[in-house]
Amino acid sequence: MSAPARSTGVWTAAAGSAAAEPRETASAPPRRRSARRRRRWTGLAFAALPLAVYAVVVLAPLVQSIQYSFFKWDGVSAATWVGFDNYVTFVTDPILRSTFGHVLVLICFFALLPIVLGLFSAALLTRAKQPGMAVYRWIFFLPQVMTTVVIALVFKRIYAPDGPLNQALRAIGLDSLARTWLGDFTWALPALGLIGTWVTFGFCMVLFISGTSAIAPELYEAARMDGAGPFREFFAVTLPGLRGQLAVALTLTMTAALRTFDLVWITTHGGPGTSTLTPAVALYKAAFQNPQVGLAAAIGVVMAVLCLVVALVITRVSERD
Amino acid sequence: MISRTERTVNYVVLTVMAVVVLFPIVTFVLAALSPDRSGGPVSPSKFEWGNFATAWQQAGFGRALTVSLTIAVCVVIGQVVLALLGGYAFGVLGVAGERVLFPIVLLGMMISTEAIIVPLYYQFRTFGMTNSLPGIILINLGMGVPFGIFWMRAAFRALPRATFESAEIDGAGPVQMLRHLATPMVRPAIYTLILLSFMWTWNDYFLSLVFLHGSNQTATVALGVFQGKYVTQINLMAAGGLIVAAPVLILYVIFQRKFISGMLAGAIKE
Repeated sequence: MSAPARSTGVWTAAAGSAAAEPRETASAPPRRRSARRRRRWTGLAFAALPLAVYAVVVLAPLVQSIQYSFFKWDGVSAATWVGFDNYVTFVTDPILRSTFGHVLVLICFFALLPIVLGLFSAALLTRAKQPGMAVYRWIFFLPQVMTTVVIALVFKRIYAPDGPLNQALRAIGLDSLARTWLGDFTWALPALGLIGTWVTFGFCMVLFISGTSAIAPELYEAARMDGAGPFREFFAVTLPGLRGQLAVALTLTMTAALRTFDLVWITTHGGPGTSTLTPAVALYKAAFQNPQVGLAAAIGVVMAVLCLVVALVITRVSERD
Repeated sequence: MISRTERTVNYVVLTVMAVVVLFPIVTFVLAALSPDRSGGPVSPSKFEWGNFATAWQQAGFGRALTVSLTIAVCVVIGQVVLALLGGYAFGVLGVAGERVLFPIVLLGMMISTEAIIVPLYYQFRTFGMTNSLPGIILINLGMGVPFGIFWMRAAFRALPRATFESAEIDGAGPVQMLRHLATPMVRPAIYTLILLSFMWTWNDYFLSLVFLHGSNQTATVALGVFQGKYVTQINLMAAGGLIVAAPVLILYVIFQRKFISGMLAGAIKE
């Protein structure tokens, strides 16, 4: 990170290399040091507007969320302090607590399944450039640029009572399996989960394919010389080489599962019953439908903490040794 | 070189995956063109192109698309300005208090909307900023600042430092340098930011659902309402869906490289 070769020290601070900074400051002549200081204040002036907007829209509400979460408030009358009651409600109320279980199911479909599929296909693909790859990449990324509302409608049609899925089941004589998928207490959640699988697996695939092409070919040659078969090769070379991409894919897909709102809201509203209720849907209902504002804030705070923990743990684990 | 078998395996794997992705979308497009309410596929000669016009009128998409477009354009412009200012400050000038401020900015990329939406709504309500376009534009801008700064900072840092040094010796001030020297050099990064920012704003559902009602509904929210009302008319619902998805899809067809590289780079971060 440190860059001793640079002709002037003034730009080093801008490069954000914390390690190099004090040393440069110590050795720089006073005039240059004050020039740099002036530049940094100019920088602060430049950054002031974006930082102010960010502070008003994100940082202040973030702090207020924590504050709100300790109150009982219906959004209109005076709020009363209730300590940790809202958090206790979130984890003890059977319906709200069930949202955690739903999230775990969604994580299997949003994160694990797409990553396994992505790894599997990346492993099957020979790491050679071949014509037409751009077209495939375009297709795999398509779900990423579509708004969730439209994706929800696409699958509402697929899962409809007389939609393609049930038609296919009936065509092969499995009439007994045909059902109103999104209206079924048991099947609605997995059906939603599979939409998530469809959305994310292409992204994981592209990520992993680009990752494998960055692994040094010598590693594969060495593995082959040692007599490693395709399986050994995958576990000894490909998987370790994709560590960074795996961390990214896991973080993004797990937080997406945790935060699922649009998909559920448009297809099932959390139903039937509460069988597809997610924390975000519970938050929306508590915040804006029958206001228990403090509870909603508590749900939001817990979700944010969980997202942060997921991101930090995955980064930590992936960067170990 | 790889053998013909390997090449064939590659194409088979890729094609199977591509079909899995495309199948739902194709049935949706066929449903949108079907004269049949249930959206059953028909032969091309019987395509009902009028579905788009019908859906447009019944859902009031004219108004909703205008709202979405207004919001998206304002957010994109504002976003680029904020990102240029912040990115240039953090990437080139350095910022007093950077060691505290920059991690706070990065933290923003990990903060979910849910963590701030509740106070945001009730505070904005106090100031009469709910159900107003300036309000939602401001929110989108604020939430986009972390990625914008992160993205443009990386672009500015990739420039050769000698350019700035010589310009400074020539007596150029920081504002001049940003406007006439640095900005033109990071044009590709700006284009990617424009595309991503447009896509995120246009595709947003949650914020619009919370903040905008009635005549201020965005296209995504209007589509949600429309599909709830016309549950039995799948062909119209699908046509409406395609209308709302069209602007981003068209951009994606034209600028696919920028979209994909931008989203991959944005995902991987540092």
